[in-house]
Amino acid sequence: MELEINGKRYDIADNPPRMLLYVLRDELGLTGTKFGCGVGLCGACTVHIGGAAARSCITPISAAAGKAITTIEGLADGAALHPVQQAFLELQAPQCGWCQSGQMMAAAALLAANPAPSDAQIVAAMATNLCRCGTYGRIRRAIARAADLARRGGES
Amino acid sequence: MSAAPRRRWRMTRRGFLIGAGALGGGLVIGVAAGLPALRLAMADQMAEAFTPRDISADPLLWFGLMPDGRLQLTVTKVEMGQGAHTALAQIVADELDLPWGQVDIVQVGSVGPLTDPYGTSNSNTVSSLFMPLREAAAGMREMLREAAAASLGVAADELRAEAGSFLVAADPARRVSYGELAGAQAEWRAPAEPPAPKDPRDFTLIGQPLPRTDLPAKIRGEAIFGYDARAAGMAYGAAARPPTIGARLRRAGAGTAMQQPGVLKVVIRDGFAGVVASSRAAAAAGVQALELAWDAPQPYSSAAIEAMVQADGPGGSPIQSAGSAWLHLVGPRLVAAEYRTPMAAHAPLEPQAALVDVRPDRVIAQVSTQSAAQVAQSVAAAIGRDPATVSLTPTFLGGGFGRKLVSEAAIEAAILSDAAGLPVHVGWDRTEEFRNGYVRPPTHSLLRGALDAAGRIVAIEHLQASGDVTFGFFPRSFQLLVGSDFGAWRGARIIYNVPNITVSAKRYALPVPTGSWRGLGLLPNTFAVESFLDELAHAAGIDPLAFRLRHLGDDPLGRRMAAVLQRAAERADWGGRRGDGRALGIACCVDVGTVVAEVAEVSAEAGQIRVHNVWAAIDPGLPINPDGVAAQTESAIVMGLSSALKERLTIRDGQIEAGNFDRYPILTMAETPNIEVDVLRSGDMPLGVGEPPIGPIAAAVANALFALTGRRLRELPLSLV
Repeated sequence: MELEINGKRYDIADNPPRMLLYVLRDELGLTGTKFGCGVGLCGACTVHIGGAAARSCITPISAAAGKAITTIEGLADGAALHPVQQAFLELQAPQCGWCQSGQMMAAAALLAANPAPSDAQIVAAMATNLCRCGTYGRIRRAIARAADLARRGGES
Repeated sequence: MSAAPRRRWRMTRRGFLIGAGALGGGLVIGVAAGLPALRLAMADQMAEAFTPRDISADPLLWFGLMPDGRLQLTVTKVEMGQGAHTALAQIVADELDLPWGQVDIVQVGSVGPLTDPYGTSNSNTVSSLFMPLREAAAGMREMLREAAAASLGVAADELRAEAGSFLVAADPARRVSYGELAGAQAEWRAPAEPPAPKDPRDFTLIGQPLPRTDLPAKIRGEAIFGYDARAAGMAYGAAARPPTIGARLRRAGAGTAMQQPGVLKVVIRDGFAGVVASSRAAAAAGVQALELAWDAPQPYSSAAIEAMVQADGPGGSPIQSAGSAWLHLVGPRLVAAEYRTPMAAHAPLEPQAALVDVRPDRVIAQVSTQSAAQVAQSVAAAIGRDPATVSLTPTFLGGGFGRKLVSEAAIEAAILSDAAGLPVHVGWDRTEEFRNGYVRPPTHSLLRGALDAAGRIVAIEHLQASGDVTFGFFPRSFQLLVGSDFGAWRGARIIYNVPNITVSAKRYALPVPTGSWRGLGLLPNTFAVESFLDELAHAAGIDPLAFRLRHLGDDPLGRRMAAVLQRAAERADWGGRRGDGRALGIACCVDVGTVVAEVAEVSAEAGQIRVHNVWAAIDPGLPINPDGVAAQTESAIVMGLSSALKERLTIRDGQIEAGNFDRYPILTMAETPNIEVDVLRSGDMPLGVGEPPIGPIAAAVANALFALTGRRLRELPLSLV
């Protein structure tokens, strides 16, 4: 089976059936995507599949095949950080960092679908991305800031 | 790396050891902190063997100035999101007058019994290393000054340090950079007496909200955590788990495990059964196929365990005493109340994880742990190796919170790697993480207080009880020596100016493993004591803020408490008009020398508690990085609110019920209030910040709910329904 991840093609075994997260982390060495709960409850494993946020721990590889997959390693455009990454850095949002790949991927998917989300829309989109360090306030502000950065980037 | 560097070791007047040597073409200084006798022994040991390979193994921290002018700061203290690395880099760069951005940080483990037995805990990384680090950095600066004087042909006192160079004060064009000096000289001698560190008025980087050094890697997904550790030829391991808490493996057989695809090895030895396989899923399936028989102890429920913890009756150890409280705890103006808190899980988002490679002559490990030295010892003990042959590197931690002072995963990976002859990674799944660690113990507090006619507290008695917190980590001889579990009663003492005080603490060894959870007893005890202060204020008919202020001493601590209480209250517009259906509550605490006050604004529509705003003021002495202090305060408030509003770990039929976040919900973004933090400076020494701000939040919310509803909630999690 072939997976297209961050614009690169990877050949992986068809069998046994397995979830995308473990293929990314344990077979392909893309450990930026994190394991948190294994059942889609915490959001640490969030990636983009066909541009939409997906929980890779409950996404079978068969469902991801043939679609463009983006992980945190592919979010930046080379040296140029994605506006979400810029804003997370600017607001010093991450603490331990374990949940943050998933937070940033969820945020980037939100902004791709809705470039100017309201605060309520941000909270709704991030409702099930858990963070035990309690960085929610900074993440919330960082997403609004990222929308701002993206808008300015688009204008210039 | 070639020859052993030359070095000189000296005891400084504070009993810290500074060693200096040339290494890798640069100048290197090591810093250790601890008991002088221990350090002398260490110096003897080092005099015999000091090689580039083990330099990182000995001091708590060492830093090297490289010929390119960059400083490499090598630390055994781990970065788990608390910002410790950034603060340490600020301290050393400031003392050296080095530009920010020229410090590289490397996190290393420690080997042998002498190094950092405490790990990264107790909010003390920055406070314990502040002076040793500055003395060592000042030593390095003065050594460089001597070298610069020789190089420029002027007297040392004609030079001044600026942005990584020494320049002649009268002729600033004549200068030499640290990098040039470090590269040019092969032999260095530490000053006989450590030079005085900078005057705090001259700080340039200390006190600045500089960006965290660990974030660039984290936002790109490049930071390596224990769960991410990989090695060539590695396999995955999993271990059999007891069906109930405390069950022991009576008999184990391979069953059909070896027939499972991908299973490489079944490992069964005294009390342990596990599987090595080519993938995590195969290892887990292999464990399911083992034949296991367990001896289970009597199965307890959480209700039964909580009921074991009783503050009344004999057996309490006195932990605070003033005057004669018992004489005054009589009469009409007596207030009495009882508080309870339940068990809680740490729930770090990264579960236990370790990669261990047991080789014939040595053991190489990468572990997500707060305590590399202790874990190296436990790994060595588990496989019968000399601890000196275990090279353990702590990784970034996906949350610590007191849970990662041990690493069961490292021990399991070591046993499996030893048997399989391969590097083995063990990463627990969420259910394993919830059910197989230690938990925050339940607590019980009985409080009584007497007021005089003027509404002053005449006497307070606090009988506190808790399951063990620190005792689980110490040998029995130590337990007998100290008598009471100081972790369990953290926050239980009365911090106000009251003439008659009695506080005692009772400890219970419970049938569920209990241990350190962020702040240890601080949140449960502050919840009880600061809620009770509120009860006394209302009984006296005095505003809770004014009531606290009138019970503060006219001493440095009293003034610092007054400052944070007043600042938080001012930010919250305490005493001003509130919108309909909202009310404020205030609470404060003193912990590891830091003082914190928090004001919570709540509403409760249809019994649904909502915290809208929290205003916090924190005084950690000297804030090294004010934004880092603010971030830790926000973090502690969110974790404390999660405990106060949602968390109760339950046990049924001998097993922890929660197997994932659906049965143990933690606070989400939608439930997180707006938090504003004011960081105050009151001195020239930094105090801890990771834990203190978790203390007041539960009481602040409970006090606000009382102001709103007239109902006093005396048990966590808080509930109006």
